[in-house]
Amino acid sequence: MQQTIPKQADRTVDGIYAQLAQILELEELTAEVVLADCEYWDSLTVLSIIAMLDASFGVHLTASELRSMRSAGDLAAAVEQRRPR
Amino acid sequence: MSTLSDPNFVNPLSLRSRRILVTGAASGIGRITCALLSRLEARVAAVDLDQTGLESLELPGEGHARRCLDLENVDAIPAWMAELALEGGPLSGLVHAAGASCVQPLRLLTPALYRKVLLLNTEAALALARGFQKKAVRDPQGGSIVLISSVMATAGASGAAAYSLSKSALHGLARALAVELAPDRIRVNCVAPGFVRTPMFDRMAALWDPAQLSRVEAAHPLGLGTAADVANSIAFLLADTARWITGSVLTVDGGYTAQ
Repeated sequence: MQQTIPKQADRTVDGIYAQLAQILELEELTAEVVLADCEYWDSLTVLSIIAMLDASFGVHLTASELRSMRSAGDLAAAVEQRRPR
Repeated sequence: MSTLSDPNFVNPLSLRSRRILVTGAASGIGRITCALLSRLEARVAAVDLDQTGLESLELPGEGHARRCLDLENVDAIPAWMAELALEGGPLSGLVHAAGASCVQPLRLLTPALYRKVLLLNTEAALALARGFQKKAVRDPQGGSIVLISSVMATAGASGAAAYSLSKSALHGLARALAVELAPDRIRVNCVAPGFVRTPMFDRMAALWDPAQLSRVEAAHPLGLGTAADVANSIAFLLADTARWITGSVLTVDGGYTAQ
């Protein structure tokens, strides 16, 4: 892994999954992956994801909002819905 | 400095006519520091990347300067300071308030990330001190350098490795430079603030739950600080009130590290 947040982030749904996979250290991440089941799912990882979504997608989520999401697909849907057009 | 029995007693906090360079001047601690120093009659050279923020800075009095500068280009800083001194006169003080925050778990902390934090927080401080030391830049009567560190320089926190690394290095830098620059009557000190309500804090706090914010507030026995609390300490270290203080870290944290 060379960089947590790429300079030219892929702003598609695939881009969300790619950056999420980096932070969660998963080789592959699909919509069905349950976030809380991931090995590295902890409070610091939650903060890292929030910071990544803010920097790369302009989407602001709170820690409690993120924790309430069950799967990677739920997260991607929320980002798609909230991202500035 | 005048004594208390002197009929011509001069307020030791006065910065009348002294020229002071402040980085990070467009927002937060740097911005409030500029406002305070100008009210203490200093001539402020305000530096930031944010042109709009600089333009909206209210500085009473005359002789102030606003300059847009990318401090990450550390090689260029000393020569730029020489130009600044040539244009507006020598500097009596320097405040490095510009800084980058970083919350990242160790497993995600790449060299590119921590080097970026070190560049602005630490290397720029060193380059500014190099520029300040030059005879063509500093006031021949001496000067005062104040580096803004953090309680994170001495207190650990999860995810703060890069930030702590960059800020604790400032403490060592201040001590070494205090000794090296004393013959030139240049004092070098740090101010180590706790959590202070600034735009940078607000950006970070926006990521937290209310419970997390409450925990941070509770960690400060006197409550969260303001940028003005820190600016007052900076002014104290710049002025003659601190003429016998060098190589020190002034902790301004509402009791955060007292526990």
